[in-house]
Amino acid sequence: MASKPTVPDHVPAHCVGAFNLYKSPEMRPTPFGDPFAAVAKLLDGPSVFYAPETTRDGQGAWIVTTAEEQRNVLQDGASFSSYRRIFSSAIGEDWPVIPLELDPPEHGKYRSMLNPLLSPKRVAALEPFVTAKAVELIEGLKARGASAEIMTEFAFPLAVSVFLAFLGIPDDRLMEFVGWANELLHMGPAERTAAAHKVLNFLESMIAQRKAQPADDFMTFLVKAQVEGRPLTDQEIRSIAVLLFIGGLDTVATAIGLDLYFLARNPDRQQELRDNPAIMPSAVEEMLRAFPSVTPIRTATRDMDLGGCPIRKGDLVSCPSMASSRDPAEFPDPNTIDFNREDNRHTAFSYGPHRCLGSHLARREIIIALNEWFARIPPFRIKEGTAPVTFGGFVFGVENLVLDWS
Amino acid sequence: MIIKVDREKCAGHARCWALAPELFELDDEGYVLPRDIIVPAGQEALAGRATRACPERALSIGED
Ligand code: HEM
Ligand code: SF4
Repeated sequence: MASKPTVPDHVPAHCVGAFNLYKSPEMRPTPFGDPFAAVAKLLDGPSVFYAPETTRDGQGAWIVTTAEEQRNVLQDGASFSSYRRIFSSAIGEDWPVIPLELDPPEHGKYRSMLNPLLSPKRVAALEPFVTAKAVELIEGLKARGASAEIMTEFAFPLAVSVFLAFLGIPDDRLMEFVGWANELLHMGPAERTAAAHKVLNFLESMIAQRKAQPADDFMTFLVKAQVEGRPLTDQEIRSIAVLLFIGGLDTVATAIGLDLYFLARNPDRQQELRDNPAIMPSAVEEMLRAFPSVTPIRTATRDMDLGGCPIRKGDLVSCPSMASSRDPAEFPDPNTIDFNREDNRHTAFSYGPHRCLGSHLARREIIIALNEWFARIPPFRIKEGTAPVTFGGFVFGVENLVLDWS
Repeated sequence: MIIKVDREKCAGHARCWALAPELFELDDEGYVLPRDIIVPAGQEALAGRATRACPERALSIGED
């Protein structure tokens, strides 16, 4: 007999759902898939349900679908803790990545220290670098021919080099970093552990180097930063650096890839952007709403009732941004992609105190990437005979995205 | 017309400021300043749009 997934005793049968962020058919790698449409269908059902085995390591979790209920969870750090050892568990240790896995009020101390570095005004200073890099990459792939695999030739190299420049890491090892991020986020436990060690070793050598030889970069900032009137400990520094590494490496590339995947299959929408380039910022917001990639997860710190379901202290509560961003109560016609959508309070960057620290940088990077792409590449489509593959999981995405503009 | 600001709820998305930089001021960390905003005559529609753009529902329209 096939073993049935286990459901804890306190979860009533009517609260158990069949959907799973990793294993449902549309969540698995799918040629020409649309995992977002599959998640959007959850909004026809209950606002909260229990999904057995829905996390990467096979644990069950409550899945919260509506924007309103997700806001209740994500704004309430006292009832929903974000401490899960997402990184340290991979190496058999027990420490939080900072600030994501600290709860308020502890969280605020570090967040305040980091906010100015990635505020909307500060991000403007990084724009010339992002533009130059985008132009260099696009001109490079154009010179090679009239088609290219966009994730490895454009989206990842762009996102990763911007990120490395911000951290102060030279980009001669760029593709090595891309590999580590991929192993960490998308591979099995053995690869994950090995990658975690590689990332930590690298960051530790960086920290030591910046202590000896300060530079004008984020790593040096961390080495010199103060919290509560004392310098950060080495452990704190690595907990912050590791999180930036995880948070900033593949999310931006993923967003660029998902946007180009959509546009390649919808020539009329490309034309809309070519006819009216000024709508790019609002089009990017709309595509962040339609194709967000991240699922915030929390642990309940007390027993409570949520959406009519009994949550117990210690239960995992998962808030897929792809569900709340398709909530008809928050977004009229949620499955229509409207580049001029007003009141677009999408959830791609989460809600509450942990709102994505890199959101302002991420937005600018995506806008610049698409602007430069449209300025240089004629109408494009998926290359005949190739099939992009979409996937669900902890970070949604697309791979093997070969575009053709011959 | 005024915009009431619930600074506790503000999470620094800066969507209000992106739409109406002349109405909203952000602090160095990128969060909206903790005070109600008096909307100049003629800017009511913009104020309404910016208020509705806040993902956290930290902004609301009030009478002065
Ligand atoms: C389109 C690109 C991106 C998306 C969709 C995204 C999404 C998110 C989401 C949903 C969260 C909240 C997680 C939670 O509440 O559990 C988050 C947090 C975070 N992100 Fe991003 N992110 C992006 C880009 C970036 C970049 C470029 C950086 C770094 C420069 C970054 C750094 C962070 C950090 C440090 C946090 C934790 C903030 C805290 O706990 O206070 N992200 N991101
Ligand atoms: S949009 Fe809302 S959360 Fe964002 S800065 Fe303005 S008030 Fe704060």
